[in-house]
Amino acid sequence: MKSSVSLTHALKVTIAIASLSFGLMACGNSGNSSNATPAATKKLVLTGSSTIAPLASELAKRYESQHADVRIDVQSGGSSRGIVDARQGSADIGMVSRSLKPDEKDLQSFTIAQDGVAIILNKTNGIADLSNEQIVGIYTKKITNWKEVGGKDAPITVVNKAEGRSTLELFASYFKLETKEIKADSVIGENEQAIKLVAGNPDAIAYVSIGTAEYEANQSAAIKLLPMRGIEASTANILNGQFPLSRPLNLVTKTTPMGLSKEFIDFAQSKANDDIVKAQYFVPFVR
Amino acid sequence: MIKQRPRSRRSSFGEPLMQGLLWSSVLLITGAFMWLCSDIVRHGFRQLSWDFLTQLPRDTGRSGGIGPILVSTGLIIGVCLGVSIPLGVGTAVFLNEFSAPQRWLSQFLGISLDILAGVPSIVFGLFGNAFFCKTLGLGFSILSGGLTLACMVLPILIRSTQAGLQSVPNDYRLSAAALGVSRSAVLWQVLLPAAMPGLVVGLLLGIGRAIAETAALLFTSGYVDRMPTSLMDSGRALSVHIYDLAVNVAGGEQNAYGTALVLVLLLMMINGSVSWLGKRFQQTRILDV
Repeated sequence: MKSSVSLTHALKVTIAIASLSFGLMACGNSGNSSNATPAATKKLVLTGSSTIAPLASELAKRYESQHADVRIDVQSGGSSRGIVDARQGSADIGMVSRSLKPDEKDLQSFTIAQDGVAIILNKTNGIADLSNEQIVGIYTKKITNWKEVGGKDAPITVVNKAEGRSTLELFASYFKLETKEIKADSVIGENEQAIKLVAGNPDAIAYVSIGTAEYEANQSAAIKLLPMRGIEASTANILNGQFPLSRPLNLVTKTTPMGLSKEFIDFAQSKANDDIVKAQYFVPFVR
Repeated sequence: MIKQRPRSRRSSFGEPLMQGLLWSSVLLITGAFMWLCSDIVRHGFRQLSWDFLTQLPRDTGRSGGIGPILVSTGLIIGVCLGVSIPLGVGTAVFLNEFSAPQRWLSQFLGISLDILAGVPSIVFGLFGNAFFCKTLGLGFSILSGGLTLACMVLPILIRSTQAGLQSVPNDYRLSAAALGVSRSAVLWQVLLPAAMPGLVVGLLLGIGRAIAETAALLFTSGYVDRMPTSLMDSGRALSVHIYDLAVNVAGGEQNAYGTALVLVLLLMMINGSVSWLGKRFQQTRILDV
């Protein structure tokens, strides 16, 4: 008897919790279907690349500040998630920090910025050019002295990026290296840190985001940017697509964007917001 | 005498060795903990201010504060505990007090709980994303995140509450039954207060796991660092903010340290108040342990 009393009590609690969560669910559904209720705030959901997510959040914040009735939610999770969510329609816009693959051509992509990576050396280093093989050799420690690539007799200090950095991913995939194969003397996180290190060490080599490197070199940091395959590492050459070590930062949609999606993509591509792109050390995209 | 001599000789050699091993393990553990804490405090202390705790993050978190993120974290933990404590205690009481331990249902429940307790958090994240966000249509929201964490915390909570209940001597139940006290009164007045230390341990472990969770929350409560206006809003947790600042935002290290310090302090505060509440609950009951 007594156990059945407390069991009915437990049942009541369960029912209460269940009804509570269903009630909240109902709220959620009404909140999500913002298109059905024109009076409510308009909502836009972006998911995908964690490289683009901070940039998109900043763009979204400025857009929200200019349009009081709009709410833009930016979610992270990786480029492939951006592709999947845009396809399934669980996100209005996907964020993909690479060019679309051939089997992803069902989606429409809009580049909002470019990300490039340049090899940097100390300004006093006599080397003016390194081939791809030489760079791979240096980063796998098969080449450990500058004289092996035509420089002075001094050991090479290899500076690598910490795991998870987008520049590391881009660098490793361009040179077809596993991140584990790279053997470094120094592992750092930020572009600025790499630049300071190379500026202070005449024998160091590092790779950094081009926007940051160019900015610092212009601010008379003691670094120089190496050309790749004879193409000068500059934002100009990323813009015209000539520099090989770069990737586009894309927004993708399933269908031709309309309404709020279109407005936000136009907003993200507009010149007026280049300052946000530059603040995240990316290269603004010019159509 | 004859027996004791070799033993004492062996111990005269073995004892300092054992002592040395014990001391070095103690030093290693406390040293690692102190090093970690001092590192976070040293780097994060300068960031800590009232403004940092209350203001909105600016420039993807490089400057500004963590106000909305702190609020979201509190709400997520609140949802998690609000759901997991009643469910967890209820299940533990059912398993321990109302079902025979040999019955297949309770055995099956026990095994599934042990397996669930060992499941990596990313699996809970994907489950939460598929079930709460998509199937139930909650979307990226604080509610989804809190419920996902509740699933994660439940096995720990149930198991340790159960251990607490098991440690209550059977005499208590028999004496109460002999006195004609109803079972629910026994539960409320005797068993739960006596099992409180177990529940508190489970809560501390569970909260520790929940508040440090990044992977599961990235997929459920999300990445939005706006001030949440309801449980249906997406809200960034402290751990997700630290992860993002450390990995995705160049120049975010300083604020990542500041946020980490806040997280550690928050955890200490929650742990302290849970222990205090547990003791208080125990003291207000008739049981005098």
